[in-house]
Amino acid sequence: MFDEMLCDHSHEGRKPYEKLVSWLGEQDLNKLMEKSVMAEDLFRHVGITFNVYGDKEAEERLIPFDLIPRILSADEWRILERGIIQRVAAINAFLNDIYNGQQIIKAGVIPADLIYKNKAFLPQMCGFTPPGSVYTHVVGVDIVRTGPNDFFVLEDNARVPSGVSYMLENRSTMQHMFPELFTSHQIKPISNYPKDLYNSLALCAQTKIDDPNIVVLTPGIYNSAYYEHSFLADEMGVELVQGSDLEICDGRVMIRTTTGTETVDVIYRRIDDDFLDPLSFDSKSLLGTPGLFDAYRNGNVILANAPGTGIADDKAIYSYIPEIIKFYMGEKALLNNIPTWRCAEAENLSYVLDHLHELVVKEVHGSGGYGMLVGPAASKRELAAFTKKLKANPGKYVAQPTLALSTVPILTKHGLAPRHVDLRPFVLVSPDTIKVTPGGLTRVALKKGSLVVNSSQGGGTKDTWVIGS
Amino acid sequence: MLGRHGNNLFWMARYLERSENIARQIQAALHHALSREDEGEEEWASIITSGGSRKIFDKKYDTLSTTNVINFLLRDRDNINSVASLMSKARQNGRSVRTSLTQEVWLSLNESWITCEAALKTPVNIHDLPVILDGIIKGSSLFRGALYGTMLHNDIFNFLRLGTFIERADNTIRIVETKYHRLLPTAKVIGGSEDQSQWEVMLRSLAAWRSFNWLKKGRLDPLGVADFLIFDEQMPRSINFCYKMVRYNLEDLSNFYGRDYKSLGMAREICLKLTNDRAKNIQIINLRDFITKHIAKNSQLSLTIATDFNLN
Repeated sequence: MFDEMLCDHSHEGRKPYEKLVSWLGEQDLNKLMEKSVMAEDLFRHVGITFNVYGDKEAEERLIPFDLIPRILSADEWRILERGIIQRVAAINAFLNDIYNGQQIIKAGVIPADLIYKNKAFLPQMCGFTPPGSVYTHVVGVDIVRTGPNDFFVLEDNARVPSGVSYMLENRSTMQHMFPELFTSHQIKPISNYPKDLYNSLALCAQTKIDDPNIVVLTPGIYNSAYYEHSFLADEMGVELVQGSDLEICDGRVMIRTTTGTETVDVIYRRIDDDFLDPLSFDSKSLLGTPGLFDAYRNGNVILANAPGTGIADDKAIYSYIPEIIKFYMGEKALLNNIPTWRCAEAENLSYVLDHLHELVVKEVHGSGGYGMLVGPAASKRELAAFTKKLKANPGKYVAQPTLALSTVPILTKHGLAPRHVDLRPFVLVSPDTIKVTPGGLTRVALKKGSLVVNSSQGGGTKDTWVIGS
Repeated sequence: MLGRHGNNLFWMARYLERSENIARQIQAALHHALSREDEGEEEWASIITSGGSRKIFDKKYDTLSTTNVINFLLRDRDNINSVASLMSKARQNGRSVRTSLTQEVWLSLNESWITCEAALKTPVNIHDLPVILDGIIKGSSLFRGALYGTMLHNDIFNFLRLGTFIERADNTIRIVETKYHRLLPTAKVIGGSEDQSQWEVMLRSLAAWRSFNWLKKGRLDPLGVADFLIFDEQMPRSINFCYKMVRYNLEDLSNFYGRDYKSLGMAREICLKLTNDRAKNIQIINLRDFITKHIAKNSQLSLTIATDFNLN
């Protein structure tokens, strides 16, 4: 198993970690644990919390924050950055094609059924191109690592990726706790993200309007990511609105203000497609704004991300991403996918059933680590139960090998201890550029041996540094 | 600004002011109860009555004991006006408008709420009471300080101040209402130290005991107290002062938005009426009638503000 900090689990730091390891050697464990408590207090007082659905007892929880940073060298980052930009460019080209012309289906690269029968495909989007051909204004690409040069994309989050506020808050917490580390390391800054997001959204609208009115749309204070919504609105200096604040007037989207109404040009929406507009999508939803989608199709408002982008990050489509990159970019994918068995195909299913104990099986449309089986960690009974589910509904699942994910140490009462991590870099797409903020959000499985890093399942986070030039 | 945000700001300020007022009333009643031989049931009863929650209290509790009352007022979630319920609502409103608050204002609110939740998690006994009450009042002061020191004095600020003063006026009116019989000119005849202590409770619960003594040289007569609580122009909790501040903030909004508002007209009228009333001899004012009318006017004004500014 590859540890990113220590050479072969010795006491010697790998290159990017050399200074940190020697600094750690000078620290008193008790003092560090005190800092850890201080950091937790800071998060609680600022209210950096998330809500867990159906969890009344502890309505708001803290995401555990680990003080030991994760470090990537500038060289390692360049590999990731290039690969991510290529991938996100291909995803946008793919979405444009899927909703306008479907060349990739006609060319026989992707089976038609996989698109048309997919719940994430929105026929309402066909024949419409969003301004600047940008579909995914914000993407979070989840990356795992198994060795010094072995990076894999675990999944693409092209709908409403979250977590960026933790990336930013983790950094400012570390700066507050350990200013000395920031003078001894040359760490690439990330604090421009909110401004970059604002500019990137404004650029998409600027074909029509110079100074667009941008808002963030949230489902409200009970949503699990509400803190992030308010944080981003605050940092961008824009209004944080709910569906009930919006109305459509003469085809334009308006917000209700203390003096009447005001036109909105760009909506950075943090709600799912289904809840956007009860007239065009889920008619039972109370969250949406009737007529919003028509205003969108008439070019009167920009929705970021565009509706229907889920077709690009669906777990069934995921396995085709290398082909998608080849098709649109004419290049080989720079970042690898994890080998994926689509259980819908009979021979794959029988392989998966035979090797269930060594595979990770995920729901095609699932997210957040729910409904997932980690074969090596599952009991006989769990394996048997999952076999039944797979046989009953194979199309619902894909399987992947259990990778030996890299580890980075976390701080525990007994000193440093290695834990598995992943990485979600955040990508901003505007008509002419794709920009990746250096680093991203490192999620870490706090339980020894665990591979599940999701915050909803007890995962924590770390500050992530890209250092050097 | 979003109308909904205006509403959240207005109510956040109202809830905070209300919880501070409850803490002050408990503080005054506690002081009263500790300075006498019985439990001071009457004082506890009057706090619950002036807050309008007598029915809910009687449904849940048999006696007006100190323990029952302080727990009901501080931490009972069935009581929508308990400090715990109010702080949760204030914070919820605050979370909804985080983007309108400076970090310091938000921190003061969130930290007060965290302290409150921790302090009111288990039943409160009289031993912990002084520290808990101090904490609530200090939290409120901190919030006010952060507000003045760090916020832009714009419409956001005005809606917060409107909430504070509408609520504060309501609170003072209700305290006077519960005790108006002690402020009647005839009360003097009954006299005695017992009644003096009643006036003291009233003044203490409005943080005005010292300032009253300072201004009136300690002459504790009922009409003097009534005049002070209703008409004084310097006392930050007198009815007159509160409406002056309501009027100021509405004038600010009117200038800021460049429009005239019905609520501003109402506030001006109330202020004018108060000035006229003050000029009369307080002895001839029908106090009972005066108070009842003001309670109605205050809630009418609050509703008109909501309509004028699309607070929804």
